[in-house]
Amino acid sequence: MYTQFFGNFLLNKDVISPEELIKAMEKQAAIHIKFGTLAIHEGLLTASEVDHIVIIQTHKNKRFGEIAIEEGYLTKEQVDFVLEKQKPSYLLLGQILIEDGKLSNSDFENLISDYQSQYEIFDLESDEEQNNLVTGLFSSFGEPGNEPISQTAIDYLTLLFNNLIRFIGDDFTPLDLVAYQEDYPTNYCISQHISGNISIHSAMDMDTDTAINFASRYANEDFSSFDEYARASLEDFLNLHNGLYNVNMSNERSVELSLTPPEVHSDDVLEFEPPSYLMPIMFPFGILHFILGFH
Amino acid sequence: MTLDNAKILIGDDSIFARRQLKDMIGSWGNFTFIEAADGQEVIDLFLAEKPDLVLLDIVMPIKDGIAAVEEIIDTDPDAYIIMVSSMGTQTQLRRAIEAGARDFIQKPINSDHLKTIITKRFEGR
Repeated sequence: MYTQFFGNFLLNKDVISPEELIKAMEKQAAIHIKFGTLAIHEGLLTASEVDHIVIIQTHKNKRFGEIAIEEGYLTKEQVDFVLEKQKPSYLLLGQILIEDGKLSNSDFENLISDYQSQYEIFDLESDEEQNNLVTGLFSSFGEPGNEPISQTAIDYLTLLFNNLIRFIGDDFTPLDLVAYQEDYPTNYCISQHISGNISIHSAMDMDTDTAINFASRYANEDFSSFDEYARASLEDFLNLHNGLYNVNMSNERSVELSLTPPEVHSDDVLEFEPPSYLMPIMFPFGILHFILGFH
Repeated sequence: MTLDNAKILIGDDSIFARRQLKDMIGSWGNFTFIEAADGQEVIDLFLAEKPDLVLLDIVMPIKDGIAAVEEIIDTDPDAYIIMVSSMGTQTQLRRAIEAGARDFIQKPINSDHLKTIITKRFEGR
């Protein structure tokens, strides 16, 4: 988890430009080998078994391998065997940059070693690691511990990244947050307010092409135009994410919050009160702009 | 169990969420679906159509789902209402059950869980 941050790390080190990163991510999306594909290749699953698991996966928050075991298609040993063959996505990104001549093998070796020691990636699932990575996005604001709202922001963003991985895909790179105090001119933008002891003004903005791609992935459906279902699925994503945030806050921090229905702002201007942040998230199909005010 | 011809009212402001529910449930039987996009429309359609089952979101414009449950139960204490929401906090769960809802499904919807609940409703029909 969270190998998405390797792209952000490379940008911060000025190793590559944003354009080069997008190109590499597009290639990565094309060659990213999924568990199911590998398992078919190894002769362990049939294509119809893979299709069946993919359908179950749309309703269960479980990994592909776990479902394959539950369904009796694979043993735990077979799943481990396939997992060993899967490479972390940052290795794939590195491989593409080497092939394109952006990095040498020894550059890559050094960067990987820096990246791993900077973020202490030992246990990729640990909460602490996620926390460190997300905290790193606030690096331009100095010590995040100085800001009283920072834990709220870190909790919120950690869940956002998990939900993007869960519902959209793991092939994204979040860029560092920048402070935002002006009016925000929107393309196609969904906003929603969380209120209670904590108040969060959340918005996600993107151009129409990006929106169609994002909606298609979320709904598991090929939208060819930006119709009412595509538009509604964007609202559904933000509403689901914010709802799950409220559930987490209720369960883990005993904070009860409420939610307003999502609003659409198309070619509009949104007002944000400081402290607000703008965070671009790069996917191979385009850039999402999250605008977040924590109060 | 026969699910045929049962009338289900789906109250959700998202056309996407309504279609998702119709697609899932529609694959298990021959239902008639009625759709409402806000809490007041849910109440009006409930009174007009007397559905066998109501699936209701919480966060909706004009009147939220829990206020709609209270008004429906006031007029028909036997109304069979299930909340389907991304906001399954302890408080919302308690409010919904106190208002008279029979169950609560946390989004994203687990189809097995939904099917169990729907089956329970229409058992023996």
